[in-house]
Amino acid sequence: MAKTPHREWAMIIDLDKCTGCGACVVACHAENNVPIQTEQEIARGRGIHWIHIERYWEGAFPRVKANFLPLLCQQCERAPCEPVCPVYASVRSDRENLNLQVYNRCVGTRYCQNNDPYKVRFFNWFEPVFDEPLNQQLNPDVTVRSAGVMEKCTFCVQRIRRAEERALAENRALRDGEVIPACVQTCPPSALVFGDLADPNSAVAKLAGDRRKFKLLEHLGTEPAIVYLKGGESNVRA
Amino acid sequence: MTRGITRREFIRIGVVGAAAAVLTGCLPPRAWVVLEPYVRPPEEQLAGVATWYASTCRQCPAGCGIVVRIMNGRALKIEGNPEHPLNRGKLCARGQAGVQLLYHPDRLSGPAQQTQRGTRQFKSLSWNDALNLLYSKLQAAGSATAVWGDSTMSGHLADIFARYTKAISAPAPIFFDLYTLFNGYSVLSKTNQQLFGSSALPIYDLAHADVVFSFGADFLSAALSQTRYGVEYGAFRSQPLGKRGFLVQLEPRMTITGAKADRWHAIKPGAEGLIAQAIASIIADQKLGSVERQTRAQTVAARVDVNSVAAASGLSVDDLTNLARIFAAADHPIAIPGAALNGQNNVAQAASAVQALNIIAGNIAQPGGMGMSASAPAGLIKPTPSSFADAQALVEQMRAGRIQALLVHGANPAFDLPDKIGFADAVKNVPFVVSFAPIVDETARYADLILPDRTYLESWGYDVVAPSFGQPIVSGQQPVVTPVFDARATADVMLTVARGIPAAARALPYADEVAFLKETVAALGSGAAGGAGADVLWARFQQHGGWWQSTIPAATPLQSKITAPITVSSTQFQGDEKEYPYFLHLFLSDLLSDGRGAKLPWLQGSPDPMTTIAWQTWVEMHPETAQKLGITSAQVEVGFQRGTLISDVVQVTSPFGAIEAPVYAHPGIRPDTIAIPIGQGHTDDGRYARDRGANALRLVGAQADATGSSLLWAGVRVKIARTGRQISLATFEFTPGVTRGFINAAFPGQ
Repeated sequence: MAKTPHREWAMIIDLDKCTGCGACVVACHAENNVPIQTEQEIARGRGIHWIHIERYWEGAFPRVKANFLPLLCQQCERAPCEPVCPVYASVRSDRENLNLQVYNRCVGTRYCQNNDPYKVRFFNWFEPVFDEPLNQQLNPDVTVRSAGVMEKCTFCVQRIRRAEERALAENRALRDGEVIPACVQTCPPSALVFGDLADPNSAVAKLAGDRRKFKLLEHLGTEPAIVYLKGGESNVRA
Repeated sequence: MTRGITRREFIRIGVVGAAAAVLTGCLPPRAWVVLEPYVRPPEEQLAGVATWYASTCRQCPAGCGIVVRIMNGRALKIEGNPEHPLNRGKLCARGQAGVQLLYHPDRLSGPAQQTQRGTRQFKSLSWNDALNLLYSKLQAAGSATAVWGDSTMSGHLADIFARYTKAISAPAPIFFDLYTLFNGYSVLSKTNQQLFGSSALPIYDLAHADVVFSFGADFLSAALSQTRYGVEYGAFRSQPLGKRGFLVQLEPRMTITGAKADRWHAIKPGAEGLIAQAIASIIADQKLGSVERQTRAQTVAARVDVNSVAAASGLSVDDLTNLARIFAAADHPIAIPGAALNGQNNVAQAASAVQALNIIAGNIAQPGGMGMSASAPAGLIKPTPSSFADAQALVEQMRAGRIQALLVHGANPAFDLPDKIGFADAVKNVPFVVSFAPIVDETARYADLILPDRTYLESWGYDVVAPSFGQPIVSGQQPVVTPVFDARATADVMLTVARGIPAAARALPYADEVAFLKETVAALGSGAAGGAGADVLWARFQQHGGWWQSTIPAATPLQSKITAPITVSSTQFQGDEKEYPYFLHLFLSDLLSDGRGAKLPWLQGSPDPMTTIAWQTWVEMHPETAQKLGITSAQVEVGFQRGTLISDVVQVTSPFGAIEAPVYAHPGIRPDTIAIPIGQGHTDDGRYARDRGANALRLVGAQADATGSSLLWAGVRVKIARTGRQISLATFEFTPGVTRGFINAAFPGQ
């Protein structure tokens, strides 16, 4: 494989812009062959969505507020899910700042799921079902995970590869904004922004310095690659 | 190198002594890692290169441009068309799910004849036999033919149906569905006609507005143009120089738009129009804002007693005054009428009162204000959503036996209309019913013949975008894959049948739908994509996904036609207050919209944004209300990660009917209001939709408002009774989330 420069893939999520509409959720299902779970399985807490919207209530009626927070794998630099995997299925790529899930290594101990503080890893309790011909839609770039395998957001690694290969073929550097995961691509208010933090001129590098920035469960020291921007400030006096 | 605990250290901690030395000898693990997950196919397989085709989304009437990723002849993924001026490369959840309609396992292959209606006993026919049958029936029916379409119909098909019915002297087709009824397309057109002399749909330039007053408008969800308003909302929150818009939401039940509001007021159902009137009145009386605004307010605002509005709306006089101050002082304020207005008896007045605030603001046809959707280019057709009265009139015609042949395309009146309207009875008096549904839906069950149309990813067409923001846009639709099932384009079916009926043959002298479309597109001339000559224009139309100009024309100035102040009468509710103590608030599901999303597993299985419930219908009530009624909704631990929400199933009864569904305790709803989403309760429409949840339209009567634009679906009262049954809610909420802390607080001891 050709040598590619060091990257720090990162995502900025502006909570002020996220409307909770769920476009990212369905886009991810379409891109990553994520199976839909039945009503009974969801009721048992086994729903699978690599990205989903958390909704938090704040305050009491009538001064109640609902906050949306899109939650996906935080691609931690010090990921708690990794050291507990006995078979190296959950491994880190330092070169790219990605947490990889190697499906054909996974033996389904679910240790990673237990140790994951964000609860963004999902276990396939059963063989996924795609009623024919719905299976015609499956993305050939992405493996369908079988029963007994853990899965999670990959930052659409297949899209990263595609963009890198195209840049390599054209003998040029990767441009900012050339790699767009499915969720970022579709987000109507552009609440999600993706890019390389190692490039100081990238959109994410500029936004990552925003005064509204925070990371999820920062005190755990996991050093996530996802930076949230706090929502709900206004300049209008009311 | 990763800092902190490495795999090596972890194993050292876990394994003792020499064993550890042996194991660590195997390191470093990273040396063996190929830096990608197992996503590549085996070496001998080449997936090929993906191609992208531009087309138009048909999941709602908005008309967003899409591009579809095709590999090996299969449609894999839909994305927004980045060139398209409406949605600018973005797409909502429902648009993303379109591929599942294309590959739906319950799609019909070939025509089907139902020997006895309602039995689902279908006899397969050849297309030739089916077309001959259709021809003989339509010829016999003559002018007693009716067409029932929906708002997402391609312009060319609407055009063909309209020319056909005109040629045979039949009534013009109606375009009626629940989506446009709830979102008040007909109401908004009529209101604009009265206020501005233009029946176009309104548009709101949120990107340049600094204050937005939404009177229950859930514009970030299944409303007039969800994706575009999502784009606008993003811009609204991050304007140049660090400016950020301020959103005020007035609604009885918190929607996702309400969740994003800077100020949320839980007003009484039906008070939207009164509040708008009070704000206008306060601006006039207290001389708030600029002199121009005061003058305009004095013309259009009927003086109201603010105290009585406060009592009727649930807002304090201070709240009302404060809102009036914010609105009057803003540089670019906008007021948006919401869906709930459209189901009230005073709908015309209430919508006018809200639009009157825009007139007072002086924002009409201004940046950061209200504008009008651009009109369709000459010769192109946009199906105009029919009013409720039109739909009701057609049902009455059917009941009276004046319709001999009914053609239903896209619409699903058997599901979309309350039982009280009696579509099921009326259709019995129609001797021949044809459905063009690709999947057997509730209406197709009443059909004698089903001629499955192709789904939109396999079809030709165009859509005049409405509401379109600032410029006329025609979205182009083309087949992106070869048809998956043995379906035939309805436009071709109609053109074929028309050939045998002399009057229709003269009106529709086209070989097929493509010939018809080419002629239409050539008439548009050169757009932003350039080119000259019919063939080049046709190619560019497909390649770029439509036609639009590269420059945005200046907005046409609009003059307010209001001469007398607008007064809003108080909202009347159906059902006795003593017997039916709660207001019923219906809303379109964010993902399933008016129910047409229910057949797609991605939309069924994805969590609703406010409740995180999937696959089910639920009844939203305030926890205090639930407690008062002795309703349980408790968290049960079932595993390490997540819990199950066990909930009482209640019966909700209105004067018109009853449904049963589990309760979801919703902290953002008024204690006197019960909210239920529309979308579930299908008795047909494929395996994912069928026999799932309840259709809340059962609770609605058949009465129209005074203007006939809308059905009175909002002013209904209900009562609640426990059934004694409990079920698990299919929620995605985590155990430590709201359900636990919140419900336990509401139900001490559980």
